[in-house]
Amino acid sequence: MTTQHKSKSISWKKKFRDKLIGIIGATGVISSDDELIAYECDALTGYRIKPIFVVLPNSAKEISDVIKECHHENIPFVPRGAGTGLSGGALPSEEGIVISLSRMNKILDVDIPNQRVVVEPGVVNIWVTNAVSSSGYYYAPDPSSQIVCTIGGNVAENSGGVHCLKYGVTTNHVLGLEMVLPDGEIIEVGGKTLDHPGYDLTGLVVGSEGLLGIVTKVTLKIIKKPEDVKTLLASFDRIEDAGASVSGITARGVIPAGMEIMDSFCIRSVEETVGAGYPIDAGAILLVELDGPTAEVEEQMPIVEEVLKGNMAIEIKVAKDNKERELFWKGRKNAFPAMGRISSDYYVQDGVIPRSKLAEVLREIGELSKKYGLRVANVFHAGDGNLHPLVLYDLSKEGDLEKTLELAGEILQVCVDKGGSITGEHGVGHDKKRFLSLMFDENDLDTMNLIRCAFDAKGLCNPGKLFPTPRTCVEPGMKTFREHPVQKAGLGEMY
Amino acid sequence: MLKKNITNILLKIVGEKNALTKEAKLESFGVENMVPEVVLFPNDIEQVSEIMKIAYKESLSVLPWGSGTKSTLGNKPERADIVISTKNLDHIIEHGASDLVATTESGITLKKFQSALNKENQFLALDPPHVGSKATVGGIIATNDSGPERLRYGTLREFLIGLKVVRADGTIFKGGSKVVKNVAGYDLPKLYTGSLGTLGIIVEATFRLYPVPEYSETYLVSFSSLEESHDTVMTLLNSDLVITSLEILNPELISSFAKRNDLEIEDNKYTLAIGIKNVEKAVKDQISSLKTICDQNGGKGKVIRGAQEEKLWEDIRDFPWKLFKAGRVVCKASVLIKQIPKVLETVKRLSDENGIKTYISARAGNGILIISIKGEVSSVIDSLNSLRGFLSSIGGHLILQEAPYEIKAGVSVWGDFGSGLSIMKKIKFNFDPNNLLNPGRYI
Repeated sequence: MTTQHKSKSISWKKKFRDKLIGIIGATGVISSDDELIAYECDALTGYRIKPIFVVLPNSAKEISDVIKECHHENIPFVPRGAGTGLSGGALPSEEGIVISLSRMNKILDVDIPNQRVVVEPGVVNIWVTNAVSSSGYYYAPDPSSQIVCTIGGNVAENSGGVHCLKYGVTTNHVLGLEMVLPDGEIIEVGGKTLDHPGYDLTGLVVGSEGLLGIVTKVTLKIIKKPEDVKTLLASFDRIEDAGASVSGITARGVIPAGMEIMDSFCIRSVEETVGAGYPIDAGAILLVELDGPTAEVEEQMPIVEEVLKGNMAIEIKVAKDNKERELFWKGRKNAFPAMGRISSDYYVQDGVIPRSKLAEVLREIGELSKKYGLRVANVFHAGDGNLHPLVLYDLSKEGDLEKTLELAGEILQVCVDKGGSITGEHGVGHDKKRFLSLMFDENDLDTMNLIRCAFDAKGLCNPGKLFPTPRTCVEPGMKTFREHPVQKAGLGEMY
Repeated sequence: MLKKNITNILLKIVGEKNALTKEAKLESFGVENMVPEVVLFPNDIEQVSEIMKIAYKESLSVLPWGSGTKSTLGNKPERADIVISTKNLDHIIEHGASDLVATTESGITLKKFQSALNKENQFLALDPPHVGSKATVGGIIATNDSGPERLRYGTLREFLIGLKVVRADGTIFKGGSKVVKNVAGYDLPKLYTGSLGTLGIIVEATFRLYPVPEYSETYLVSFSSLEESHDTVMTLLNSDLVITSLEILNPELISSFAKRNDLEIEDNKYTLAIGIKNVEKAVKDQISSLKTICDQNGGKGKVIRGAQEEKLWEDIRDFPWKLFKAGRVVCKASVLIKQIPKVLETVKRLSDENGIKTYISARAGNGILIISIKGEVSSVIDSLNSLRGFLSSIGGHLILQEAPYEIKAGVSVWGDFGSGLSIMKKIKFNFDPNNLLNPGRYI
């Protein structure tokens, strides 16, 4: 649904637009309706809001000047990378502007000996690895969208990928940030060196979903490519056996670089689109990648195979060369888009469970699928227990979307009941804010609000995201952080 | 002064036998001569919360306390009414061995925690100083302490995935989760790591764990020059070897080890300690490869293993505390990997000029140098200020980890917090508006 803004007058808008043009120049301010449409949503396309303007700044200074204007006029602003986010984190605010970082896309510093790369936020994830791979290095976090998604967006969402079981997620590879605070101040936190004095603001800002400011420079850690990589593909009749294999492998003291599971729906649709060499009749496949010193990989391989066989693997295929290995992964990385072949619409869920609970949770998801009469395809980062159930539906069918969202919500409840999380890498954003209270009570949310208020007392920076209900910023110590009755009744918001 | 009736209320919360009020007993809980009026040993999280509620209402300052191994870190507290010790909060809540995670109360010593995890052949991949003695999990989080193995495993920000905290006003909250991958809400474990008790009392923590490596060997190798040793470091780091820990020990430090440790290694030379932990075959293969690299650069070394190896790494972790029983000056410098030789040279020059003695172990793959200094107060102060000036000029940092008060009077403990300081202060103010928790020690 598209919401129209109405309250700002045309003359106010013209004046505000002129101010923005004064800061960035005419080509850096988008104001025509047909161009604004592209910024109405991110990859969660179910929610759309048209921003009043989109700005395309070239520097932290320009962002700072824009934000100061917004601050002055009480205009909310939403930062945006490539718009690949799946939780609506870049959904514009009513009566707000979007700050697109697409022009700030330079790699500023490649420092191989010190194992650092400094980039602007609009740099695409894969560019970082491309810039260092000839020296034998790479940037570890590799979300499926890595050929389009940007580092700035990765920082906002603390993005993961298929290799984070061993190497961690974005936050483990970001050492410093330059950012514009919600009042326009430009600060630097962390940097190329480690152990800076003071609170770990870098760690706090990574994953804060664009609520604490706009990141304008990111210092990344790069790591050396391993001596050896072996990828194997095991097929199973039952997905539960694939799930049990995962905790079986870690229980034997082996931490693979990645472990991914796909069910029969995914296998078939991926095979039809990519032709990754997956066994088309299997109930599930498990991809396991081992890397490290050759001797370590060689020692671990038979252990993994033993576990797989013990869990009824029908067939185990080891990629014979780099080309086959890449093909195995290509299938996995195209799993979401390939779904389009078997269903007109699908909803991607993102939940986390302890990996020892994989088998039982997959069973429960199967039961929910039956209960709702909707197909659920499973493709996920099994090693870290990060599920991505895809609920398949048909938008043209009355009530299907509502049922889908309800089913997806029930899956999250299952995850939390098992001691897990409502999101492993896609973020809370707009989509999941109502589920945050499944994990966090009022005290927990109040504490998070103390942080938000330290950064953004006016609540202008990506407002309306993350928190289940609007929260006010008042003088600390007054114990009145709870929602005001007026707000509760939906009669007004206070910032 | 604590009012008598308030003291009684506090004693009632924990029970009299879980409190200290006699002056003689209180002294060892003093920080920089700021001695508290009462030390409380709450038995559960609720009691910590009850105490903080009283402290908040009465505006009493609180020093959170693990085992006191890092009580000299930071500025002198402005006030010290109550010490809250987490000593009785020492229960492991859950060890999900098949999920490689564990949750524990914060007052447990790392040693005790590790030995419980070891039963399942797992461990928390942290090797900070004092691990052999009494350092607690909560204290290690609050100070973001780490050791040589950070090269392979990283620091607490990689392992701390969830926590429970009692805030200044007594509110109990949790942050993060109990699963290894989670992005729901702000990353509070990061904020609390290294927050030195200024934002709340950490009462519970959840960590991701690793399997205990099967086998370990260390190559200890000396070089005739700093340049040769560092060239070797750069070659090693740029190779595909997976090194667990890699330290450059300066000649003064290795000489002190050689005497103690029966190492039979040339003293007075820059020496590398290169530790590899993995499956046995991978250790042997890699030790053999790195020996070749070291030999090519003129290194003379030997492989050590077993008890002697363990002892060496304990010495590397704990040398500042082993070398000096009192009046210790310990600092941590942080630079880029390539800048380490420049720092070692600068420290050498300052030592010669100012007549001080410096013992250094440099985490060569992380750009961190642990420096222990012996000398006249004024010479130490001059040297530290010059060193900090040099480090700032190359984009580095210096933190004073431990020093007698007269040294701290002449050298800033933390140095420059950078442009993020205003936000840090706002966070501190929002979490602790009356500045009750470790006031003045940090932010």
